[in-house]
Amino acid sequence: MGRFVLVNLWAKKGRSFGITLAVALAVMTVVTLAAVSNGLKNSATQVLEISKSDFTVAQKAAPDILNSTIDSHQLAEIRATRGVASAIGVLLETQDLNAANPLFIEIGIQPGDLRRFGVTMVAGRPYAADASHEVMLGWRAAQNWGLRVGDIFHANGTWNRVVGIYSTGISYGDLGAMFPLPALQAYNRVPGALTLIFVKVTPGDSVAKVAAAVDYNHPELTTIRTASQFGRADRNLVFLGAAATGSTVLAILIGAIIVGNTMLLSLFERTREFGVLRAVGWSRSRLVALVGSEILVLAVAGSMLGIGFSFAAAAVLEILPPLRGVLHSDFTTVGFLRGLYTGIGMAVIGALYPALRAAHLTPLRALTHE
Amino acid sequence: MSDDVVDPAPRARPIIECRGVEKVYEDGSVHALRGLDLEVAPGELLAITGPSGCGKSTLLHLLAALDTPTAGSIRVGEYDLARLRRPDHYRREEVGLVFQLHNLMPQLSAVGNVEVVMVGTHRRRRDRAARARELLAAVDLLPLADRRPPQLSGGERQRVAIARALANDPRVLLADEPTGSLDSDSVRTVLGVFERLRDDLGVTVVLVTHDESVARIADRTVEMLDGRVRHPDGEVEAPEVRGPSALPLGR
Ligand SMILES: Nc1ncnc2c1ncn2[C@@H]1O[C@H](COP(=O)(O)OP(=O)(O)OP(=O)(O)O)[C@@H](O)[C@H]1O
Ligand SMILES: [Mg+2]
Repeated sequence: MGRFVLVNLWAKKGRSFGITLAVALAVMTVVTLAAVSNGLKNSATQVLEISKSDFTVAQKAAPDILNSTIDSHQLAEIRATRGVASAIGVLLETQDLNAANPLFIEIGIQPGDLRRFGVTMVAGRPYAADASHEVMLGWRAAQNWGLRVGDIFHANGTWNRVVGIYSTGISYGDLGAMFPLPALQAYNRVPGALTLIFVKVTPGDSVAKVAAAVDYNHPELTTIRTASQFGRADRNLVFLGAAATGSTVLAILIGAIIVGNTMLLSLFERTREFGVLRAVGWSRSRLVALVGSEILVLAVAGSMLGIGFSFAAAAVLEILPPLRGVLHSDFTTVGFLRGLYTGIGMAVIGALYPALRAAHLTPLRALTHE
Repeated sequence: MSDDVVDPAPRARPIIECRGVEKVYEDGSVHALRGLDLEVAPGELLAITGPSGCGKSTLLHLLAALDTPTAGSIRVGEYDLARLRRPDHYRREEVGLVFQLHNLMPQLSAVGNVEVVMVGTHRRRRDRAARARELLAAVDLLPLADRRPPQLSGGERQRVAIARALANDPRVLLADEPTGSLDSDSVRTVLGVFERLRDDLGVTVVLVTHDESVARIADRTVEMLDGRVRHPDGEVEAPEVRGPSALPLGR
């Protein structure tokens, strides 16, 4: 029957192509969205991974991690919590440097905390704690702009001398710049403000207990232990996740309608053919298997094509000005599987009614169909 | 064999036996068959004629198990058609069907059209292709086996349709006006094929036709009128039952 399936699909090239394309577009939407939302999630959560801290403290229910605001005095209180070995306060800001770097990341951190935060110097020296007009560039950023130690870097409406080049081992961190904490607070007119606090627990103490104590003492803050817990503080990502799910459902629905319509039309055309097959002894189930195999072949082909399309779509999204340098789409097996489910799901939903109709036609009525 | 078998192979009795067959179409307005009786001997080539609307196609559809009788009994081989549990199986194994219009699938080659009815049988794929070519050779179409129906003449298409009807070795071939849309040359070739089938394979053939020349090759011709078989002198036909050996060959 396999060859018969392919011959039939080939005989109706236009229809086959239409269904394949409908499946492909739906699958592309789903896979691209999954890759983009994963990518954005990764970028943001990478900040949490720069430091090898035991847990991170953020403002509870901040719309996204970069909008978290914590006061310096809370840092002092957390440092005083039993079981806390060290706590590093960091200010994270983004700046619209230029069209290519609309979300350039700037990190304010005390030079004394750099090593514990996981920063290594690649060239030059760290800035002084109270310096103004001094900056350290991530090595990726420095490389992108061809800047070296001693060069001038314009940001925050002023000039800054590059005193050092650093590496964090995480691309999102290495694409940014670091400033003395008070200087970055001043540039952004948020004196005393921090975005996140990275906590290390004294060896032997339970991370869970210390985090729970911080949660208890500071109801306005939340502790995040792993990247996956990140959703606790980031409504944007929760929203993005919901959007991905919603678009999957929508893609399946629209695709199923297109597939269903096309199939129904083609089954109408083929009624007589089905009548002949039934008349020469094909059973109902064999006929359904034929129609099912045809649609399945198109669904799988469409899914593959859609996955191909999604790479292209993600590549285009990545170079769009607002996302450039920020979005590094992340294709995962889960994303591909979701695409495949979409493709096959919409085909099955779309083909269900037409196939049942074909099966329930009596051979005589099908034969005499004009 | 299937559960539909009622009585294993008694060769001497008629292969087709219709008793008091009635067919009223669903809406109840048309009484297409009114107590039809008919017997066909194994290996017989029977022609059925009669005016338009007298119920010839209706009878053929019942014999092919494409429809069920309203009353009466029909037996074909060992199958009781009023109590068929697997009509697909019966249609595939016991009867072959030839329509007025060839009803071939235009996307498939001649071989493909014959092969497709063997899908789902015990035959393996390579055997199916070989068998299809064998059948096309039997209807003198081997050189055209790889052409698709649009590239064949009407007579050639009808011969492909006959080869298709024979694919699963049916004992009975049912044909509804198989020459109805052919020119006289093609009619001759197609009729030659039917004759050969009866002579060489011993297939029982029931031909519905308006065509005089078709009636000429038949072992017997029955005329239908108003849903019944009519005897030449107006009596209901009571045919003598003959075995294939009793058939006069080579006319
Ligand atoms: N599906 C149907 N529903 C209702 N009436 C039908 C149906 N099929 C056939 N009939 C009627 O049953 C009667 C017999 O039809 P049938 O097709 O058997 O005639 P026929 O002898 O084959 O005629 P023809 O020589 O024109 O093909 C006709 O009156 C026809 O109108
Ligand atoms: Mg008719």
